[in-house]
Amino acid sequence: MNQFFSGFLLVIFLALPPVAHLLESIMIVHMHMQMPLLVIAGFLMARLFQLRFPRFFEKWNGNGIPGILLFLIIIVFWTIPRSMDEALNFQSMEIFKFFSLSILAGIPLRDSWKKLSSFGKNAVIIIFTIKYFGMGLLYIKAPVQLCNNYLIMDQLTLGWGFLTTAICLVIYLLYVTFTDPTKYQ
Amino acid sequence: MAIPKTLKEKANKEMGISTEDARITKTYLFVAFMALLIGGLLGLLQGLNRAGLLELPSWLNYYQVLTAHGLLLVVVLTAFFTIGYFYAGLSHTLGGLLPKVRKMAWIGFGLKIVGFVFAVIPILMGNASVMYTFYPPMAASPWFYIGLALIVVGVWMCAFGAFIQVANWRKNNKGKHVPILSFFATGVFILLFFGSLPVAIEVIVMIIPWSFGWVKTINVMVARTLFWAFGHTLVNIWYLTAVSAWYVIVPKIIGGKRWSDLLTRIVIIALVIMNITGGFHHQIIDPGISESVKFMHVFMSLAIGFPSLMTAWAMFAVFERTARKNGGKGIVGWYKKMPWGDVRFLAPFIAMLAFIPAGAGGIVQSTNQLNQVVHNTMWIAGHFHLTLGMSVVMTFFGISYWLVPYVSKRVLTPAINKLGVIQTIIWTVGMVIMSGAMHTVGLLGSPRRTSYTTYGDNATALGWNPYLLLLAVGGTLLIIGVLLQVYAVINMMFFAPKGETEFPIAEEEEGASKTPYWTERWGLWIVIMLIFVGMAYVIPLTEFIVNAPPGSPPFKTW
Repeated sequence: MNQFFSGFLLVIFLALPPVAHLLESIMIVHMHMQMPLLVIAGFLMARLFQLRFPRFFEKWNGNGIPGILLFLIIIVFWTIPRSMDEALNFQSMEIFKFFSLSILAGIPLRDSWKKLSSFGKNAVIIIFTIKYFGMGLLYIKAPVQLCNNYLIMDQLTLGWGFLTTAICLVIYLLYVTFTDPTKYQ
Repeated sequence: MAIPKTLKEKANKEMGISTEDARITKTYLFVAFMALLIGGLLGLLQGLNRAGLLELPSWLNYYQVLTAHGLLLVVVLTAFFTIGYFYAGLSHTLGGLLPKVRKMAWIGFGLKIVGFVFAVIPILMGNASVMYTFYPPMAASPWFYIGLALIVVGVWMCAFGAFIQVANWRKNNKGKHVPILSFFATGVFILLFFGSLPVAIEVIVMIIPWSFGWVKTINVMVARTLFWAFGHTLVNIWYLTAVSAWYVIVPKIIGGKRWSDLLTRIVIIALVIMNITGGFHHQIIDPGISESVKFMHVFMSLAIGFPSLMTAWAMFAVFERTARKNGGKGIVGWYKKMPWGDVRFLAPFIAMLAFIPAGAGGIVQSTNQLNQVVHNTMWIAGHFHLTLGMSVVMTFFGISYWLVPYVSKRVLTPAINKLGVIQTIIWTVGMVIMSGAMHTVGLLGSPRRTSYTTYGDNATALGWNPYLLLLAVGGTLLIIGVLLQVYAVINMMFFAPKGETEFPIAEEEEGASKTPYWTERWGLWIVIMLIFVGMAYVIPLTEFIVNAPPGSPPFKTW
């Protein structure tokens, strides 16, 4: 209940107009801070749903794959420049952003992550690494504005943000590949 | 805390540090305290000049003195002390240093000393009065920067030595937690390595080619940003080193136990992850960063305050429990049961107390509007004399009263303990007067890093004079403190009676809950730290590079 409450409070905090306005005024913060924070909020709230509806998760997300696919679809959708634009232009899309990232991405992520094998986990990280490199290059190389609401400069910053995150993910993958936890644990 | 099992570890605990390991720490500490002596004398010259009491000769001007004072105390004293202290800790808690690691510590020592000589010669020749922040477009002789780069490489050598030592221990002690002092050392050396990467890039890629004249101009904002990514981390490395003694050593000295192992480890991890991004508050009134970005960075900076508050909580919990166990009574009356006459406790305790106003001052500076009042005034100099000069250095002094005898196989005599208590009092009074005067005169507008001037007898500038005199009074008391401290260290290192001194490491409280193993996943913490750093720096750096103004040629302003 505590976790649910802190997640819920986080969503409310992020939805406060001045907070939302500040975070959405900078493109990279919109995508790389507000959106992940919403996922984290959902992740925290998930505990209550898992306890309340264990059968539901068992039936629909027994091996974690449906959940992680739903998570991936939602996240991919929100990296499309147009969806960011729409979230800023239409109130309904903004509400969908808050709902989808917390409920449809955060909750399935938590339910699925522990169910996935280490191969599954690394596959998800590899998918993200490739996607981040791709999106990074897209945002850096695109000669025109991809979002109506943000300047090319913002776009470029976001592109570099994607690339640096991708590099960090590569470092993580190298770390799990080349270190053997059984030597230490 | 892991219980020592192997024979080697047991022997190490019983017999004390091996001579070879002791030599490393002794040498590092000797250099650190010599740096304190020379740096302190230069500080006195600076303070007297600033108060208008002393005219420096033309061949040794205020800015030269300031550069050397800063370099000696900010870089040499802290780096050598930190490495010497943690290498003794690694040796003690991990069953002696590996021969390979020992060799790395000596190579690191050599590189740092050579680098230091390279840096000092241009300062003495008057070719490097750029002050220790070495901001472009002020340009020193390239050899000054080459010296700094060598110091960084020397530090890296020691960092990797520590990593090898810890990894080796973990392989031999599967599933065990790294002993808490070595856990602190791991955190500190991770920060030393990753924190000095940006400054290495700044110096090697940007400044050295520019100061040699191979490239005509430099991007000043990028250089400043890389500097502060390092500068702020360095500040917190000292702090984390001091904190390690507060958590691990001080409880043992007062006869208590460590309060929570998990909390301690979380504080270390949190400080490592959030530290480097904190550098931005040093640039809070720099141009080229939008206000909304600065606003968010204030959150990042204040986030570092959170583990500090946890530390304060934990410390007072330890003090109160221990004092009550010893018969202390009342809501605050238990303080009477603390060992006030023991310098090993008194000095770090005052250091902790100093961190309360020091931390509050830091919050003032990381707030945009308040920073505009104090930016580049003497307030800032007052702030870091309170943080480094009291919170950190007094903890180092407190450590020296058991660490120096420990590595020298000598004992702390009652006389030296008494001298230490007197030294602590003199230092406290001196620093409170000096730092207080600096803070106040800064609020009145007196700029930092400026030799004495009355600005043509301007009334405002004349109004600063009484405070500047107080500054000189404080500085004079501090030099007495420096002399007493250096005397004590030399005495304990070479002349005190022979004997065994314990390496005081407090045990965990009985019945403490087991610390979960995830705290040992340093690889993961490093990746999270890197993601934090990437996110924090990508916005301003992209802006500075893409929308760069014309770069600046080098300037020699002195």
